[in-house]
Amino acid sequence: MILADEDLISLIETGDAEAFATLYDRHSRSAFSLAYRMMGDRQAAEDLAQDAFLKVWRNAASYRAERGSVRTWVLSIVHNRGIDQLRSTASRRRTQEKIEASAPRSQPSEAFSETWRNSQRDQVREAMGTLPPEQLKILELAYFSGYTHVEISELLSLPLGTVKGRMRLGLKKIRDYFDSRDVAVPR
Amino acid sequence: MSEMNHERFEDLKDAYVLDALPEDERRSFEEYISAHPERQAEIDELGAVAGLLAFSPHEQEPSAELRRRVMDVVEAEAEPRRASRRSLFSRLGDYVGARSLALGAAALLVIGLLSWNLLLQEQVQDLRSQAQQSKTIELQGSWAEQGTDAQVAYIGKNQVILVAKNMPSVPDDRTCQIWVIHDGVPDPSGLFQPEGNMTAAAITSSIKKADAIAVTVEPAGGSKKPTSDPVLITEL
Repeated sequence: MILADEDLISLIETGDAEAFATLYDRHSRSAFSLAYRMMGDRQAAEDLAQDAFLKVWRNAASYRAERGSVRTWVLSIVHNRGIDQLRSTASRRRTQEKIEASAPRSQPSEAFSETWRNSQRDQVREAMGTLPPEQLKILELAYFSGYTHVEISELLSLPLGTVKGRMRLGLKKIRDYFDSRDVAVPR
Repeated sequence: MSEMNHERFEDLKDAYVLDALPEDERRSFEEYISAHPERQAEIDELGAVAGLLAFSPHEQEPSAELRRRVMDVVEAEAEPRRASRRSLFSRLGDYVGARSLALGAAALLVIGLLSWNLLLQEQVQDLRSQAQQSKTIELQGSWAEQGTDAQVAYIGKNQVILVAKNMPSVPDDRTCQIWVIHDGVPDPSGLFQPEGNMTAAAITSSIKKADAIAVTVEPAGGSKKPTSDPVLITEL
């Protein structure tokens, strides 16, 4: 029998390592991919993923199903701890991101063109591919690199209002992508 | 910093869900939400959109060493608790209930081993025969129209199993998910992977006062709510 993620979390709460291993095998690739995207370094990404999964193991009781799926919860732990680490090593990252921010980018739609369109992941990539590069860049700087809106404003030499506006439009565009297909935003 | 109010909330909510507020603004924003809990749902919804970014990075394979490191810690910490906790498999009994444990366990066993041993198909046939001897209800839907013969069979007062043959296969990153529906609200009630000609799956939620049972195809690991139309469904 295949247990749902929520059932595995219940078992992990009781100290069931076998249930944890199953959950790890289901979500480690997504978690590591996010960690790698945030940290930009394989060893740092593995340290972050390990840290996050041990938090899942030790704090399974804090999962709240009404706030979203287990996968979303696991990824939010990776994200939150990644943001903490990035901000604690902010100065080192700043230089790297400044270079990236000024470098020419390929269009997201090209980067995401290798699709398997039925998968949720590719739907998300496709949704992000609809964003203008200037909106996507600001979402990425905030979400993956841990910059505040004020820092992004300074980094890109844009008025703070423009940064907020692009955040708003970018998120709206992703939501509109799912609404237009009559598909619920995955949680 | 400006005082937090409705306008400021609207101005900052996108940065908040992206975790892009400076610490003082974040604290102020969260205090505002605490004082206005009616805005929480809006933030949750917007946060779900922002959270989609987590799915977008190109896939990277973590090393086997990472798994070993994590599991070493987990196993070490699990050991002291193991003696006083019930195991995964003993907990499964909760879903089935004592009266129908034997039948449920047979079903679970069959699901796990069906693809490995064709001989077990006979056991599924026996199970199906037992199910047919009790009350059964046939499921309808697109898969039924394509030749799937699926039934739910009562094995206890409010407990049922799903028995089916000729189910189409689903991709590796997808799974079949059972839903028990009360007042239009679907409750996740078990996952299974169609394998071989015959499949049996325990339905893990009580069907007491349920209106319907449905099966959808969901991403691997299952979903909190259905993300696709039912391929099989029956009213109770």
